[in-house]
Amino acid sequence: MTFINPQIQIEDLPNVEDAVLKPISKSYLKIIALNGLVVYSLILGTLFGVRHLIKEDGFQDNFWYVFFGVLGLCIINFIISILAFKKRKYAVRGHDVIYAKGLIVHSITTVPISRIQHVEESRSWLARQFGLSTLKIFTAGESGSDLSIKGLHHLEAKGINDFISSEVNGND
Amino acid sequence: METTDFSQPIRQSAKGIIVIFAFNLVTFVKKFFVLFIAFGVSILRSKSIGNVTPTMMVLAVIGVLLIILIIAILKYLNFKFYLSKDDFHLATGIINKDNTIIPKSKIQNVYIKQNFLQQIINVVSVKIETAGDKKSEIEISALDKPTALLLKKKLFRKASSVSEELEQSESIEEPEVFFKVTPKRLLLEGLSQNHFKSFLLIFTFGFGLYSEFKDFLQELELEKHVEGLVELDEATILNLIITNVIILIGVVLISFLFSVVKTFIINFNLEVVEHQKTIEINKGLFNKVSLSLTPSRIQNLVITTNRVKQYFGLHTIAVKQAMVNVKQQKNFNIVALEKEQLDYLVNKLLSNYNDEQGDVAKPRPYFMRISALEMFLFGVVINGLSLAIFGIEMLWINAVFMPLAALYVYFAYKKAYYRISEDFVTIGSGVIDTTTNILEIHKIQSVKLKQTIFQRPRAIASLVISTASKSVTIPYISKSEAISIYNLLLYKVESQDRDWM
Repeated sequence: MTFINPQIQIEDLPNVEDAVLKPISKSYLKIIALNGLVVYSLILGTLFGVRHLIKEDGFQDNFWYVFFGVLGLCIINFIISILAFKKRKYAVRGHDVIYAKGLIVHSITTVPISRIQHVEESRSWLARQFGLSTLKIFTAGESGSDLSIKGLHHLEAKGINDFISSEVNGND
Repeated sequence: METTDFSQPIRQSAKGIIVIFAFNLVTFVKKFFVLFIAFGVSILRSKSIGNVTPTMMVLAVIGVLLIILIIAILKYLNFKFYLSKDDFHLATGIINKDNTIIPKSKIQNVYIKQNFLQQIINVVSVKIETAGDKKSEIEISALDKPTALLLKKKLFRKASSVSEELEQSESIEEPEVFFKVTPKRLLLEGLSQNHFKSFLLIFTFGFGLYSEFKDFLQELELEKHVEGLVELDEATILNLIITNVIILIGVVLISFLFSVVKTFIINFNLEVVEHQKTIEINKGLFNKVSLSLTPSRIQNLVITTNRVKQYFGLHTIAVKQAMVNVKQQKNFNIVALEKEQLDYLVNKLLSNYNDEQGDVAKPRPYFMRISALEMFLFGVVINGLSLAIFGIEMLWINAVFMPLAALYVYFAYKKAYYRISEDFVTIGSGVIDTTTNILEIHKIQSVKLKQTIFQRPRAIASLVISTASKSVTIPYISKSEAISIYNLLLYKVESQDRDWM
């Protein structure tokens, strides 16, 4: 048996930064917007409900301050989630899957395919209307190392799913 | 000793009925505890509700006990297990029949446990754990000890795919007790623990009691004050100081005692037995446990010590395995190890681990800024609370707090380091404790680079490395460094083709 032990040049290793990350489908922005609007209207709705329940003067006088405060927070949150949309990117390399997300806290997670336990493609009702699906990648143990790539085109998700499945099964 | 044949479906020891009965009774009482209290009180008050008399209540209780007993017997009768060549089979269920099959190769762990009741009736329970979720845990609650040991051995035999030859050599070689804790070392271990937690616990408990009985105490004090007016003022102030000091010393003593007693109960008779390939831990006073560690199943090692402990030569090693539930996780701690014993164990569990391999690197000084910020926020909260509760004169608390905060930041940075060697990642952290986290590179499940919007202009990032049992973070290093570690770790994981368990 020939044993080789070449020295590794750190600079020559495949670099995550060189990987071309693909943005997720634009339609997912609509889902984010819709979900956001539903949540915000629920919050503001409850606020109005509370207004009718509590008759105290202190609360009634300051209601509009509270309302605009909450509204402002909602708007900021909405803007951030829209801006953060651009940061949601993914890539599949020969040996691993990369997923990047987050505006305020930006993170790039890589899961080697040899560590994947199983893959799941799930489609909510809303996502089906836009032809999207979510790809969930499960590793062993810690839930922190699981990946969930949202807003992929259905066919694309299926393709990745098949690719990973065959790789995972091939390794056994 | 008669050898048990595991190839035929067998039941557990008949004493299992008692264990199941006791277990069901406890869960039943726990569930309906509030109801019991409510009923009991109202019956004691009015002697009867509706037409229910105390005698009927007693009858009802006996009825419930009987039902639980019958369920226990049925459960016992329907609980059968056997071993085939590669699998462990278990049939359970009275009405819904469950058939569980676990391949031996997927078994993570086999524990032998003995709680207080089981110690009395001299049986042990065997727990079989797989890497799956919590539901896949299996517990056989009553077996006599030789049978349990035999079962464990048989379960592990195929599991680790030991060849026939090795098996023989294992049977020849007597396992030796590698480490046995002495009561003195346990006492030291208990005393030198981080007392902040127990102190806080007891302090809040005492504070809670105090605020409950505040009114009562105030009345008492009023009376005292009336008497005190006659006495000299200085004496009362002195008295007040003395009582406060006594209370403080009392709380400190109680928290010490609490830690010591806890350490003793959990680690009573701690024993580490060395086998050919595995390490066995035995310990516990009320709950005796016995567990084996297989090196290939270990995901992370965490070594903890602190200044005082270092002086006495006390080290704790915590072994993290995949998906062991949190309660069980605590049992994988070995306390009060000498430095040499620690090194030996680490070497046994992680082959080729070397302290000197690889370069030690530290996080960026940005680390200090973040911990200072944390401390500042903590200080704001403390100041706010003390202002709200005790008034403006409590601001002197800052005189104590500031130096402590500065020390916190200093030590947190001083103790933080990381080291990437050929096969291992070592990360040091801690403030009061000194914690060393070791993981094998080929057991990494995922790598994550994290950067907040504030860190981007400074080109600083954190690296989160996850294994199947735990995520560890290399905090606040320069982005280029983080990227190159990221690439290196991924390269090693992906090119080696080694299994993570």
